[in-house]
Amino acid sequence: MFKISAINGNDRMSTQDLLQAINEALAQGETEFHIDAAGQHDIGGPLWHPEGKPLKFYVTNPGQRVGSMCLEGTEIIVEGSASADVGWLNAGGKIVVKGDGGDTTAHCAALGKIYVGGRVGTRSGSLMKHDPLYEAPEFWVLKNCGSFSFEFMGGGIAVVCGYDSEEFESVLGDRACVGMVGGVLYFRGSAAGISKKDAKVTELDDDDIKYLAGNMDDFLTSIECPELKDELTDWSDWHKVVALTYEERPKKANVKMADFRTGNWVPGGIFSDVCNDDYVVNGVVVKGLYRQRVPVWENAKYAAPCEFNCPASIPSQQRFNLLREGKIKEAYKLVLEYTPFSGSVCGSVCPNLCMGGCTRGEIDISAQIGKLGTYSLDETLQGPEKATGKTVAVIGGGAAGLTMAWQLSRKGHKVTVFEAEAKMGGKMELVIPRSRLPEETLQKELKRIQDMGVTFVNNHKVDAKRFAELKHEFDAVVVASGGHIPKVIPWPGSERLVKGLDFLKTINRGEKASVGKRVVVIGCGNSGMDVALGAYQMGAQEVTCVDVQKPAADPKEIAHVEELGGKLMWPVLTEEVTEEGIVIQDGKIIKADMVIISIGEAPNFDYLPEELPKFRGCLKTADNFSIMDGVFTAGDTIKPGRLVDAIGAANKAASAVDAYLNSTAYEAVTDKERIPANRLSTAYFKKCHTCELPEASSDHNRCISCGTCRDCHMCYKSCPENAISRVQKADGSFEYVSDGDKCIGCGICAGVCPCGIWSMYKNEEPINMYRTYENN
Amino acid sequence: METVKTQDVTFNDLNWKIEYDADRCTMCGSCVAVCTFGAIEVVAERRSKTVSKGHQPDPTQQHQAVPVIKQKNGAANACVGCGICEKICPNRAIHPVRNTDSRGTLVSRSGSPIKRGGRTNLNADRTLDKIVVGRISQMTDPSLDSERHTFDILAPFGRVLPATELPFQSDGSELSLTGKTPPVNWIYPVIFSDMSIGALSTRAWEAVSLATAYLNEKHHIPVRMSSGEGGMPVKLMESEYLKYTILQIASGHFGWNRIIKAMPRMKVDPAGILIKIGQGAKPGDGGLLPAAKVAEHVQAIRGVPKADLMSPPNHQGLYSIEESVQKMFLSMNAAFKFRVPVAIKCAASATSVSVYNNLLRDPYKICGGFFIDGIQGGTGAANEVSLDHTGHHVVSKMRDCYLAAVKQGRQGQIPLWAGGGLGMTGNAAADAFKMICLGANGVFIGKLLIQLCGCVGNEHGRCNSCSTGKCPTGICTQDPRLVKRLDVDKAAQNIVEYTLALDSELRKLMAPIGNSSLPVGRSDALVTTDNAVANKLGIQYVC
Repeated sequence: MFKISAINGNDRMSTQDLLQAINEALAQGETEFHIDAAGQHDIGGPLWHPEGKPLKFYVTNPGQRVGSMCLEGTEIIVEGSASADVGWLNAGGKIVVKGDGGDTTAHCAALGKIYVGGRVGTRSGSLMKHDPLYEAPEFWVLKNCGSFSFEFMGGGIAVVCGYDSEEFESVLGDRACVGMVGGVLYFRGSAAGISKKDAKVTELDDDDIKYLAGNMDDFLTSIECPELKDELTDWSDWHKVVALTYEERPKKANVKMADFRTGNWVPGGIFSDVCNDDYVVNGVVVKGLYRQRVPVWENAKYAAPCEFNCPASIPSQQRFNLLREGKIKEAYKLVLEYTPFSGSVCGSVCPNLCMGGCTRGEIDISAQIGKLGTYSLDETLQGPEKATGKTVAVIGGGAAGLTMAWQLSRKGHKVTVFEAEAKMGGKMELVIPRSRLPEETLQKELKRIQDMGVTFVNNHKVDAKRFAELKHEFDAVVVASGGHIPKVIPWPGSERLVKGLDFLKTINRGEKASVGKRVVVIGCGNSGMDVALGAYQMGAQEVTCVDVQKPAADPKEIAHVEELGGKLMWPVLTEEVTEEGIVIQDGKIIKADMVIISIGEAPNFDYLPEELPKFRGCLKTADNFSIMDGVFTAGDTIKPGRLVDAIGAANKAASAVDAYLNSTAYEAVTDKERIPANRLSTAYFKKCHTCELPEASSDHNRCISCGTCRDCHMCYKSCPENAISRVQKADGSFEYVSDGDKCIGCGICAGVCPCGIWSMYKNEEPINMYRTYENN
Repeated sequence: METVKTQDVTFNDLNWKIEYDADRCTMCGSCVAVCTFGAIEVVAERRSKTVSKGHQPDPTQQHQAVPVIKQKNGAANACVGCGICEKICPNRAIHPVRNTDSRGTLVSRSGSPIKRGGRTNLNADRTLDKIVVGRISQMTDPSLDSERHTFDILAPFGRVLPATELPFQSDGSELSLTGKTPPVNWIYPVIFSDMSIGALSTRAWEAVSLATAYLNEKHHIPVRMSSGEGGMPVKLMESEYLKYTILQIASGHFGWNRIIKAMPRMKVDPAGILIKIGQGAKPGDGGLLPAAKVAEHVQAIRGVPKADLMSPPNHQGLYSIEESVQKMFLSMNAAFKFRVPVAIKCAASATSVSVYNNLLRDPYKICGGFFIDGIQGGTGAANEVSLDHTGHHVVSKMRDCYLAAVKQGRQGQIPLWAGGGLGMTGNAAADAFKMICLGANGVFIGKLLIQLCGCVGNEHGRCNSCSTGKCPTGICTQDPRLVKRLDVDKAAQNIVEYTLALDSELRKLMAPIGNSSLPVGRSDALVTTDNAVANKLGIQYVC
């Protein structure tokens, strides 16, 4: 037996001296130690007997960490109380403290037993562990613990008997078991502040009771309180704390936000007085009401460029569409609704502004709209169902007058055309070279007009008296006498000038017009080119066309003249006409033995009342083309222009006359907006060479059909939601419809449509969400 | 061929370009359907070329028209880079890319200034990221356990009297109050700052409000939300949850009719009143709510018709700090029977210290806080020139104010709250902690909250379209079609979860410096490797 007193008066052994004394005794085989300590640390471990015999320590007044790192086979009995860290890292010893333990008693104990017969301080039992190779550590406390007990407890068994602890709110102190992940803690009495996020409190089961009952005697005997057994073994006073399993641990706040909103929050939401919100959350891709955009099939809302450019607004894209559908006759007839001269004008003389704007021209070559007109020569339209009984006199059988006659007779009016010349046709007959407008074509078209019921009266010049008669005899009179007074500029020698109009009229009458070898034509418009052509036809050898400005004639006409050897010069300012030719700026001379002037014609109004308002030598009309009550006009009488301009104006004027005759209000047709180019998708159309051009009557495949649905099914087949259907109507027409319940508003239909029919609009369908609750 | 001229504004002039992979695209239409800016469209693309497949030149023309997604030209439909197309595309066929050679700022200024939302895009410099917490308690003094230690994370909203001025009387055992004290609410040091009803959608505003209530009720984090200047929902004012809300009044005075009318029905007091004098995002400029966002409920709450709502740049009738104190503070205090603290918010400015000094000398002792909003603050709508070229950095300015108070021994009496770019790089806890160490009592965050709700905008020019009414996430719009995209619960949940993390992170920062309560003014905890920052802020330079 080794016995030592570690203090002698004021002479206290250092911890090192005491522990080394113990070590020496142990080395000599000592197994029992009686130590009257004076606060020395670490008494009792880690120690082992050389022969493996058990060691026993009887200690009084130890310092910190008595029994720390204590090994199996060591038993330490502390009489009275101990300081902090009793049994720190206990690795198998049995440590009995008969009084109180300090703070962090049994801290990190992983094996063995620690019995405390009093209270233990803060953080006791914290970080206890259980090495699965060995028995679990046990830590028994008779009374209670300080706060933060059993923090981070990872294993082992702890028992807090709660004896003599009624004054405490909690036998485990406050905030016990924070960070607890394993082990079992039994306590008797009440405990509060156990970390709910780490551990749960349960009742004892049979195994628990068996354990406690089975070890209670040893504990009480060890701390010398066997008399307390009855009091401490009423198991209804006991509870058990175990760590939450991984699955049991709350990962998130334990109330769902939606539950909080519907259960605790302001009912209906804080904005429910001004906002009707169902709190439904939409995906970003939505159908129906919540789509951002909606497609609209807007067939023929816009004018195709051909239609827009044509002064007669001929919708040639529709003609090609009919051809594509195999409705050949209908295609050829359609143009006649807009002009009786599809062959003479569209197919022959017209500069074809339609083709100038043709979208196809942006890809390769314009669709052959002009030539298409020649296919309608043998077609005509159904006459009027019934006659109105109204009569119309048309003065002038040119493009304007005959177009009006055509349109008005189609409407059932009885029309008579009075022509001053021997033949109908105006300038088409009188002026335009036959090489450009075959006589046969013109005659066929004139015949068609006659066949519609129009009466032609030739060689009937109208003077003031006759005009008054006509006005009296007919329900309406149309003044369409055109412009036939050639304009001449009074240069010195202007009497030498030959008037282009007269020159051409002579040729077209089939008479021989005298012509010089060297001819100068003043004026490079289309009629100037016609004159040059006529001059060559009549035998001129050298024709020079001059103008003060850039030639206004169509390139096609200019090219024709140049092919024949003609020259164009500009700017040329004529100063005098002489025998030699014309004197121009800087005194230069362009030699000519004949000078023809062709700078336009003015209308002749000598048969009309003088007081009629005029503007720049032309008639000024009311909005409905009338110049007097019941007298209307169109064509060059209003404004000099091309044949097609006269036809376009005549169409409108015919509507006005019709309205007048029917006593209805004339409503001017507003021209459609030209389709914006970016609405069209031309990518579908392969570029072709000139040599690949089909006949005009087969050019429908090259026509884009701008603004008018070509019924290609691209939208129908491209819609990712199958929302588009094609509806066939009883009258043979069709439409495409998008089903809002399927459509997501992506705009693929609009994007793939070659013709620019589908438009995407902001979805304006109202959603009943926000309100002002005005006056409510 | 469509004619393109060099001066045409095409997509490559714009800030964002759409990158698109036609091979991956199935033309499902999702991207074009969801783009709120109409920046992309479907077109048919020509794929024509002449190839030779023979062993000698053997030209064959191949022709195909392929539908594709294409970015629109022109500034009106410019892509803003929000990336909704990329998010929705099932095949990863499309995404916006920042155009490094953009001419966007030139082509977008057509006769009127650029207006947008978001933050400054030119002043992304971050002083707070140059500062670290460098004073760690280790052997010198015990550091604290951030998980388990009890921290007192509270900041005052209200005028704090120094101990010597408290009207207490002692009879030897009990203290009793003998005079009046200004109201003080001790709240969480991070305020959910003012974003108005109107700037935010009903759902977004409600999400922030809901998160605030949830954090208080379920997590006992006493966070407060400021209403913003667009008034208050009547139902909220009539509920118990009003106590978590700070009511704002700004120069437009929007919504105060309904606030005053609701007073008799209020069951609890609001958490405070915040008088907005200025705002960091657009100092010197008033609030701005474009007509596109003035929906019916906004008209109702604000009491105005559908129009561009521009608040005056200053509070009309207030010409001096003294007058502000008298009129605004006294009136606002009086209105709530002197029970509710009243604070003031200004844009950080070269003049902030003068204002703060003046407030400190306020004889009524009634100014309950000085909120300083820095240049990096966000907004729902502002002129870009204001966002990018006006304002003042908040860190040094708040520090200057704090040190000015310290010099007079008055620190802590008028709580300093700082905001404007806090949380900009993602960690609001670190930013808050550093600002507190430099002398702030707390901070306020706004932009971060909507980013938590799903806002994709950033200070590198992404989206920033809050002013257009076309917010792709349904946060900054009043278009029901877009608002319906926002999940209130999810948005609130995200704010809650971020705040819980923020709370943990604050503890993680308080623990190592050994502070159980907020380390207001503990600048010794901070170090920086930037000498200029060290000199300006009076913190340790390290390297």
